[in-house]
Amino acid sequence: MHILVVEDETRLREQLRDQLRQSGYVVDVAADGEEGLYFGEQYPLDLAIIDIGLPKLSGIELIRRLRSHDRHFPILILTARGNWQDKVEGLETGADDYLVKPFHFEELEARLNALLRRASGWSKPVLDCGPISLDTGKQSITVSGNAVELTAFEYKVLEYLMLHAGEVISKTELTDNIYEQDYDRDSNVLEVFIGRLRRKLDPDNTLTPIETLRGRGYRFRLQANAG
Amino acid sequence: MHSLHSRLLLTASLVLAGFLGATGLALDKAFRVSAEAAMQERLQSHIYALLAAADEDTDGRMLPPQQLPEPRFAKPDSGLYAAITADGGETLWHSGSLTWQDIDLNERQNPGERRFSRLARAGMQLYTLAFGVAWEDNAGTESLYTYTVAEDTSVFEAEVDSFRSTLWRWLGGMALALLLVQGFILRWGLRPLRSVTADLQQVEKGHTDRLHGPYPRELSGLTSSLNSLIEHSKSVQSRYRNSLDDLAHTLKTPLAILQSSHADGSDADADRVLVREQVERMDEIISHQLQRAAVSGRATLAKPVAVGKVVDRLVHSLNKVYREKQPTVELRLDPSVSFTGDEADLMEVLGNLLDNAYKYCSSVIKVCVQVDKHSDGIEISIEDDGPGIAPEQVDGVLQRGARMDETIPGQGIGLSMANEIITLYGGRLSFAASPLGGALLRINFGTTD
Repeated sequence: MHILVVEDETRLREQLRDQLRQSGYVVDVAADGEEGLYFGEQYPLDLAIIDIGLPKLSGIELIRRLRSHDRHFPILILTARGNWQDKVEGLETGADDYLVKPFHFEELEARLNALLRRASGWSKPVLDCGPISLDTGKQSITVSGNAVELTAFEYKVLEYLMLHAGEVISKTELTDNIYEQDYDRDSNVLEVFIGRLRRKLDPDNTLTPIETLRGRGYRFRLQANAG
Repeated sequence: MHSLHSRLLLTASLVLAGFLGATGLALDKAFRVSAEAAMQERLQSHIYALLAAADEDTDGRMLPPQQLPEPRFAKPDSGLYAAITADGGETLWHSGSLTWQDIDLNERQNPGERRFSRLARAGMQLYTLAFGVAWEDNAGTESLYTYTVAEDTSVFEAEVDSFRSTLWRWLGGMALALLLVQGFILRWGLRPLRSVTADLQQVEKGHTDRLHGPYPRELSGLTSSLNSLIEHSKSVQSRYRNSLDDLAHTLKTPLAILQSSHADGSDADADRVLVREQVERMDEIISHQLQRAAVSGRATLAKPVAVGKVVDRLVHSLNKVYREKQPTVELRLDPSVSFTGDEADLMEVLGNLLDNAYKYCSSVIKVCVQVDKHSDGIEISIEDDGPGIAPEQVDGVLQRGARMDETIPGQGIGLSMANEIITLYGGRLSFAASPLGGALLRINFGTTD
């Protein structure tokens, strides 16, 4: 998942970048509204975190321009003042959620997950595909009701595949969205992760939830459960 | 022209000068016309006198007058002249006064007709009147003569001049008197304004805390607005000061806790929990005091805010935030209801209360904005089908923030914040159980006048 953080406060910007990377997101940072606009227009983003009080171009104006340029990724606004006028203005301009500073990173992550999930068309926090159930809130997996332990990267890979269940995801797309861009793409780390995921989710090899399509990528085969 | 006094004085003086000037000119003109008419009359009567003095010979033909009716006709250069012109144009007779003057008074008029004119002859200004006469002799033959009488204008001009100087002296005197009276009226009429200014200076200097008056009716609106502004700014100031005081005091406690924990050398995990707790507490303190200080309070000059519109905007925004939950929001908004105050304050109150409703409801929220039938004020009610607030909790919920030392976990400071703003506007927040099953919060604002 590719996230843009637009925040003028250097300390907070770097903290957010590091914490988000640790959680497995691909993160770009911008220090002012104009830079933010450039990233927002030039990069394929899944979500943007935008501070309201930005230099050069205010957060509100940035959101307005992104939306008017047909950028529909979810936007989370950060506000220091926390008054309702700011919040309402931001939401009316095109933001999808707000968070008042200071906040706990866990809270931010929960909001991000909800926004990303909603943007992928999942309305509930729990993604159910066949016997596999992924709780984006708790970041936990169960198969037929039994908990499965995953590492953070394995979780991110599975979450991305399940959010796009039924779609073919190329290796490049998957690596782009799981790792930083300077990651060595030729290595077979991804194959290793997929192999481990398959073993953990489906030790008996009866379910085969993740398909490999030669030369095209991977597909989460199980369809979302109705309801 | 920055002074009302000089503005009024200047315009009134101009009007006065224009009016008196026009009056003077009209009177002058009128006097001149009537003096000229009198002159014509006089010249006419001279002609009649000359006609009466004319003799006739034995055949009944006219002979020029021998006994002159007016001695000035005989006296050279007297200023009064006469001549009789025969029908042929030759001078038949002229008065003795014309002897040394080379003035041609020959003129022809038909019998019974006359002509009054002003002439310049031989360096003199003259008024002349020519009158045509027909004289029938005994044989019944008619001869035509024209009698012309002229008078020097100097007497006439002297009369006009004397009238004129009298007239302008009086008008000038009147103008001066009127200006004085007007100046006095202006000073007197504008005195309340000066006294308001002086009173305001007293307020500025801190000698008094409001405009005491009494002021004339035209100013009472202004002065009462000024008084409310003064009061408002005072209350804002004191609120700022209190908030700052409270802020400093309440921040000291968590700071003290942090400082002592740092000193006692407890283990890192416990420290982290403690820091987190205290940071949260400090954040709450700051946002509470910040919002409290930002409330504008009841402002007399605020333009009315449509309550329904604010509710609509908030609901629209909150629907976005709580998309997951998607509660059914039932709105009954009277569009005519408006709130006299700051829109940001109203939004803060309704935002906090609606956010709570969205947070605690299970699926239904009802918002009603209407005119309060008892007090003619505003009534806003927000209810939900959540767990509700137990009566014994109400005080605690409202006191939170006011007494930051005793924190109730799990409850935001939204309600107490809203309550504080409502109280500042002289309104009331009350709690009841909703028929939906959860809490019913009712806000009442009285009429603001």
